[in-house]
Amino acid sequence: MAERRLPQLPPLLDDETRTLEQAAPAGDEAPPEKPRRRPRLDDEGPPRKLWSAGHALVVCVLALAIGLLLNAPGIHKSAYNKQAGWQRDVALAVTGPLAGVSGALLLDRPREGVQALVGRSGSDEIHTDLGLPAAAPVTTPLTRVAPKPAGSSAPTPGKAAAPHKVAFSPKKKLRIWIAGDSLVITPGYAIVRAAGPSPALETVGSVDGRVATGLTRPDVFNWFDEIRRQAKELRPKAVVLAFGGNDDKAYMTGLPDGASIGDFGSWAWRKEYGRRVGGVIDALNRAGAFVIWIGLPQTRDADQTRRFDVVNSVVVKQTRKRPGRAAYIDTYTAFAGDDGGYAEYLHTGSGKLEKVRAGDGVHFERAGGDIIARLVLRELNKEFDLTSWRKKPNA
Amino acid sequence: MLFPTATFAIFFLIVLPLSWLTMPWPHRWRPFIVIASYVFYSWWDWRFVFLLAGCTVWNQVLAVRIWRTPDRSRRKALLFLALAGDLGVLGYFKYYDFFVSSTDNMATVVGLDLPFSLKTIVLPVGISFFTFMAISYVVDAYRGDFQPTTLEKFAVYLSFFPHLVAGPIVRPGELIPQLETPRDPRRVDTSRAFYLIATGLFKKVVIANYLASSIVDQVFAAPGQHSSLEILIAVYAYAVQIYADFSGYTDIAIGIALLLGFSFPQNFDSPYAAVSVQDFWRRWHMTLSRWLRDYVYIPLGGNRRGSVATYRNLMLTMLIGGLWHGAAWTFVVWGGLHGAALAGERWWRERSDAAAPRATGWPLWRARILTFHFVCLAWIFFRSDSFASAWDMIEGLFTQWGRPSPLVTSGVLLALAVGIGSQYLPARVPRILMARFSRLPVLAQATVLALALMLTSVLGPEGVAPFIYFQF
Repeated sequence: MAERRLPQLPPLLDDETRTLEQAAPAGDEAPPEKPRRRPRLDDEGPPRKLWSAGHALVVCVLALAIGLLLNAPGIHKSAYNKQAGWQRDVALAVTGPLAGVSGALLLDRPREGVQALVGRSGSDEIHTDLGLPAAAPVTTPLTRVAPKPAGSSAPTPGKAAAPHKVAFSPKKKLRIWIAGDSLVITPGYAIVRAAGPSPALETVGSVDGRVATGLTRPDVFNWFDEIRRQAKELRPKAVVLAFGGNDDKAYMTGLPDGASIGDFGSWAWRKEYGRRVGGVIDALNRAGAFVIWIGLPQTRDADQTRRFDVVNSVVVKQTRKRPGRAAYIDTYTAFAGDDGGYAEYLHTGSGKLEKVRAGDGVHFERAGGDIIARLVLRELNKEFDLTSWRKKPNA
Repeated sequence: MLFPTATFAIFFLIVLPLSWLTMPWPHRWRPFIVIASYVFYSWWDWRFVFLLAGCTVWNQVLAVRIWRTPDRSRRKALLFLALAGDLGVLGYFKYYDFFVSSTDNMATVVGLDLPFSLKTIVLPVGISFFTFMAISYVVDAYRGDFQPTTLEKFAVYLSFFPHLVAGPIVRPGELIPQLETPRDPRRVDTSRAFYLIATGLFKKVVIANYLASSIVDQVFAAPGQHSSLEILIAVYAYAVQIYADFSGYTDIAIGIALLLGFSFPQNFDSPYAAVSVQDFWRRWHMTLSRWLRDYVYIPLGGNRRGSVATYRNLMLTMLIGGLWHGAAWTFVVWGGLHGAALAGERWWRERSDAAAPRATGWPLWRARILTFHFVCLAWIFFRSDSFASAWDMIEGLFTQWGRPSPLVTSGVLLALAVGIGSQYLPARVPRILMARFSRLPVLAQATVLALALMLTSVLGPEGVAPFIYFQF
């Protein structure tokens, strides 16, 4: 192919080097200043060889083909993580053999090497094991303690000794961890802000909001592993969760052998989803953490709202089964407009009309997050004693 | 359809050969590329294809009428009609709720209950970009600078998918003449195209996404919970993030257009190496700043009516530029800060020695550092979702020293160093790289690109975050 210099591109407009205030129609004022910098032209520097459009296409196709082989394990994982349907089936049918070829030719090694170098080894592996505890769940409330035994203080005659709320103070803070799908991110940070001024509250870890994840697809992200790991590491006493926004589908991975879930919302689907929700709550309860579950709000899409209703009903059932160990925050009602339907703007606590929902009709804006944070803090105050330390001088 | 996705790769591998195959027959190529662009656009929401088509027809009809009408006042009336339509649509989709909620809140303060109702309006992707391009078409026709072309060519100009959703804002005179004759398929600047696409992907997927998820989002969401050092680094990181995100997008757009045979104007030129705010606007989003200059600042009077009017015009132009970015008062303040700085610089220049030699050494670096920090200060308002949040950031910069700073990691500092250091890379370096790449054999070129893809894939976070400028 003949080597030649770049074609002369259209000259940059004179205006290009003028600034806002230098610019004006010609003849209307003094001539513009001399440009301070010589404009950069694309054809400066050593000459580049120009190629044909066919060459461009061949390089594109070859680069993508080699790129597919080099990245085959990651692409196969992405295919596996897709929503169920023909696109996933096709993607798996293509990427499975591709990963095999890549492995056989050792073309997956450079990717593995770079992953090891940046501490991401194993990120292409697919884990679908839920590891839900087979042991019996905690059955006693985590928010109440029995009154101190007789002798420490005499019980008031005629009154039954009711359990006390578990108390927290600046010396023994209530450690809160926040996790979930993308719907937890904005409310999560609002909770962090709201908890900040309270000496008895402490948020631990960062807000662990992961886009496009949920409880139905441990292959995409295994929340069951993550929750167990974080509960052990961070030792929270309260965990705020928000899941379900990506779970409104008739497809789950990590099912027990031989199990099927049927259509979305079917009895079998509800049973399996309930097992997962209950399993997550039980795992956290076993680690000593009370669970606050943020329900799904209504969305701009009526069909999606109906599907979210199904998810919410399962979560409500599971939290009600665990009084003193889990609570449900109803965002459906909290974000309803005057007509009871979806509302993008609401009059917030300050009386101002504020945008509470994001432009996508699903997520929350900052003001919406603040509403949820208030509901969460109210729930924490209801379940725990966060203020009595103020009355004790040495708390 | 986002550029860094498999869907777009498949789309482009279909469009690229078909575009070159139909190129010799412009009457086939133009409808083809318009349909391809509409398919690209409909991937977000097919309903807005009708909006784009309507905008095309509206502006074409009026631009032709303006061009053919000899009567000046009638031409002016037609121009106002065109602008009213364009700005009306933009205002409805982008600013209606902002206007209503702001008015309602002001009315509430004085005890009024206004009968406005809010609507749930979905913002069409890229509406600000294609509206501005349409406006430049009719205004150029009104000024006699550019003769309106055929509907077919105008439709390509407005909807051409590489620039459709986030620019660069191409002027009629830059693209439409390229549509007059078929591009030469034997002379494609593939090495520059591939360089721009590969570096654009790396900037967006690795640098911008990494900084956003590692520090920026967390600190801006709850500044009160972070140390002053974290806040400071988060502000720097946002400056790099928004540059890497937006310039990455335009690099990819320019590269894709080059592969299709078309040349787009440059949109960024090392903005954080600027020595003044004026210089910054020569280097940042260059196609927007010249649009504002030619279609807002100059019609307002430019600098022709004395110093005070010039300052006012600068301020108004930048306020409009701020509001263009989004329907929020924080964007207006961002624009106001830049307007005030431009006016202040001009005032200072008028009173200092105009013949002063160009700064070198420490004065040059001092100017760069001051400009960068002013730009960063303004970015706080741009990024924050409220004034309270912006103020928390600024206050936190001074009052929260001594706290632990776990978010300031070596990875974040490295990404910052790469993002800022790249601004000072001599312009020769990429040109030498492109020249060397252009001499490699086909297989070697493909392998280099495949390795770049692999690095981007491994180093970038999972999933693809939308480009920041899509929301504008």
